[in-house]
Amino acid sequence: ENILVSHIVVQVFSPGNGVASRPQKHEPFEQAPMYVAVMTYLGFGIVTLFGYLRDFLRAVGLEKCHLAQEREEQKDFIPLYQDFENFYTRNLYMRVRDNWNRPICSLPGPVFDLMERVSDDYNWTFRFTGKTLHNVINMGSYNYLGFAENNVDFLKTVADKVNQYGTGVCSTRQEIGNLSIHEELEGLVANFLGVESAMIYGMGFATNSMNIPALVGKGCLILSDELNHTSLILGARLSAATIRVFKHNNMHSLERMLREAVCSGQPRTHRPWKKILIMVEGIYSMEGSVVRLPEIVALKKKYKAYLYLDEAHSIGAVGPSGKGVTELFNVNPTDIDVMMGTFTKSFGAAGGYIAGKKELVDYLRSYSHSAVYATAMSPPITEQILRALKCIMGKDGTTEGLRRIHQLAENTRFFRAKLKEMGFIIYGNDDSPVVPILLYMPGKVVAFAREMLERRIGVVVVGFPATPITEARARFCLSAAHTRDMLNQVLHHLNEVGDTLCLKFSRRKYTSRPDLCAETNLELDS
Amino acid sequence: MGLSECWKQLSWIYYQYLLVTALYMLEPWERTVFNSLLVSVGAMAVYTCYVFMPQHIMAILHYFEVVQ
Repeated sequence: ENILVSHIVVQVFSPGNGVASRPQKHEPFEQAPMYVAVMTYLGFGIVTLFGYLRDFLRAVGLEKCHLAQEREEQKDFIPLYQDFENFYTRNLYMRVRDNWNRPICSLPGPVFDLMERVSDDYNWTFRFTGKTLHNVINMGSYNYLGFAENNVDFLKTVADKVNQYGTGVCSTRQEIGNLSIHEELEGLVANFLGVESAMIYGMGFATNSMNIPALVGKGCLILSDELNHTSLILGARLSAATIRVFKHNNMHSLERMLREAVCSGQPRTHRPWKKILIMVEGIYSMEGSVVRLPEIVALKKKYKAYLYLDEAHSIGAVGPSGKGVTELFNVNPTDIDVMMGTFTKSFGAAGGYIAGKKELVDYLRSYSHSAVYATAMSPPITEQILRALKCIMGKDGTTEGLRRIHQLAENTRFFRAKLKEMGFIIYGNDDSPVVPILLYMPGKVVAFAREMLERRIGVVVVGFPATPITEARARFCLSAAHTRDMLNQVLHHLNEVGDTLCLKFSRRKYTSRPDLCAETNLELDS
Repeated sequence: MGLSECWKQLSWIYYQYLLVTALYMLEPWERTVFNSLLVSVGAMAVYTCYVFMPQHIMAILHYFEVVQ
């Protein structure tokens, strides 16, 4: 207990001096045995065959078609609904879609209430039975620091601001929607991150997709990681810059591309690129892996490129005082050109920010689509972010923020260690609160979600379009609001379900050791 | 009870078979179709083995000159 507290105290008071340190942990991406891949393809093959059969029956008319179809009079026109692209959706997803879009009727805290729904015609339509499933443990919400809460004392300032400003802003930032509370939040965000200036936007996805076109254009090069989020890819495509993809977290691949870009220049004219922008994320949400920040910063300085860091999942969730991957690796925040993040995950609100040098942010205030056309952030949301930030930074006078960060780190370490011990295959860095458990086979993915719901645990499972076809997974998001009791319950049920469904594919031998943080303490004591 | 244990074990093995072949996601009539196809193909293979195995074994033994 004492050692952990002093660990945090020392880290907070020593500023990031720009000397980057290497992380001790490596990130294994363990491969499953060969028979698992074979069985996955077998499963998909059988479902595809039956999909063709059902399509044939629907076309012939032996079976009722529940999908959208054109009217009889329009059958000779150009088709409105493309049947071929929807093959996977209508023949695989529709059969099992009771595991997604489950309606929640309470706040998404560490436990929540679900509405029970049943289907009479194999998931084409649903009806509610009227019963509510109470106190289902929530392992899927991005509630890393537990700020999705409805405690009246904590939310008092939010209620006051609603009284003062109302709920809607009714304008864009540029016209007449620039409230004083927005300016206050921007100052606080810049202070928190250690940069000159910041700007906030109403929607996290739109922050990426609408601001990247303002930063790069035709004649620029974007080097983006293989596993970047859709918002980054959409923003890159909208900007009309050339996009090249490097292998996930692979510095050799990135360096080779940088060298080639600097040497050869633009494709046909061989003129030098106007700008080279490297786009990476802090924590990748499907893998749980953490970016190799010190190496990327070194590469960027060597080849004179710019760096765009998307800290959607890592801000507030990693680092000894919650400042994200820059603090985790001890990198100077001024080395990163554009720091972007969202308030949806760790702060319990909505929206995003872009932070960096003052000239950059001032430029974005006039040239970004989101700043000019999108409605400004709503006042209660802004106040929620303000109070969450003040809590994390300790400015409200309590140590609640530090306690939550510490609790999240402890929960993460405990959960990951236990899962590895049990024999599941887990991806990702030991520090990241996003834990994907690999399930591989489509039948097991569905059975896992249903079994866990029967045991009163809500999980998120992801399959083919969002992940590679052989790597379907269940993604657990840990929270500071989860107690040790809840985690033990979840682990107990996971153990049982893992045995019932044969999910323990790992071939490594893990011994149960005491907490891994003991190794880092040796450095501080000397 | 030995019999109920046996039934539970068989039931679990059938469940694993449903999960691995993704029949778990299909409707009951589709499972029936697939299972009957599998059983009929399996039965045909067993029958062919039963009918032709003596001839094959005699041919092998003849080849290795164990029997004339």
